[in-house]
Amino acid sequence: MDWYTFLIIIHLIGTVLGVGGATFAEIFYLKAKKDGVIEPLEIDYLRTIYFILRIGLFILVITGFGFLLFYRLNGYGEGLLNPKLWAKLGIVVILVLNAFLIQVKKIPMWLGASVSLTSWYGAMILGSWRTLDASFASIIIVYIIAVFIMAGILKLIKRYLKIPQ
Amino acid sequence: MLYRIKIKMSAFLSIFLIVHVISGVVGIFLFGGVVLNALKQKPSFKILKWFSLLGFLALMVSWTISGGYYYVTYYGKAIKPIIQASATPWVHSVIMETKEHIFLFLPFLAFLSMLIIWLNKESLIEKPRLKNMAAIISFLIVFIGIAVSLAGILISGTASR
Repeated sequence: MDWYTFLIIIHLIGTVLGVGGATFAEIFYLKAKKDGVIEPLEIDYLRTIYFILRIGLFILVITGFGFLLFYRLNGYGEGLLNPKLWAKLGIVVILVLNAFLIQVKKIPMWLGASVSLTSWYGAMILGSWRTLDASFASIIIVYIIAVFIMAGILKLIKRYLKIPQ
Repeated sequence: MLYRIKIKMSAFLSIFLIVHVISGVVGIFLFGGVVLNALKQKPSFKILKWFSLLGFLALMVSWTISGGYYYVTYYGKAIKPIIQASATPWVHSVIMETKEHIFLFLPFLAFLSMLIIWLNKESLIEKPRLKNMAAIISFLIVFIGIAVSLAGILISGTASR
């Protein structure tokens, strides 16, 4: 197996853990909030999911830098200026800052959850959509719109499942 | 479209570049762990202790052993002239100059954060002001670390254009 294939496999594992973790974190959080009280066992589940999610983020970032080094050392450094790559980097930075803001409770939960979900799915889509030819600004504008659409969807789900705000 | 870079780098320097980047990212992540843990209602001293020590060591490796050597022996001779002759010389005069100066803060901030944690031991948990100070310093490390990482990507990309 060559280094590139190895990096792709590990990067995909990180993506699976991260996107899956973010999705299940939201599902378990909504389920836990349904009766208005978050039980100790539910807190334990959520902690486990957040731990897995952070492992996913770590794997994703390390292998992401692995790709950048691979391109640089193999003479394809031009790819480091690709606007799609910079949009993805921007989204990952937002994801990390969002985790800190959630921890210090300086961001409303509806926005924090929406940013987390949109960022994970956004980074995954940008990573898989090889033929996408868009500018940095247009990707970020679509991302910001998607954050608010996601917030609306989560609000509708909460209303449909009668989950207290 | 991707173009092959013309600068030849020895295997030794390539390894230094890899160590510089990976140890830097690991260090940033470990201090991110310090921030998230210190801000918890019941932080784990064990995590704070080991994450801060390993984070400090990782940043030292990235800073002196690999980054410093790479900068002194390779960047000035091989990369800097290419960037200065490119259409975007500001990538060296602004981005690299900023990077190489704010990068100097990282090991000192890391040492300070580690010192606060190690000197206070378990009693740190009962001292919210000190605990928050360790969290703020560690967050600063993460913030500066992210900024210099992004700067590094931009510099590498410009040198390859």
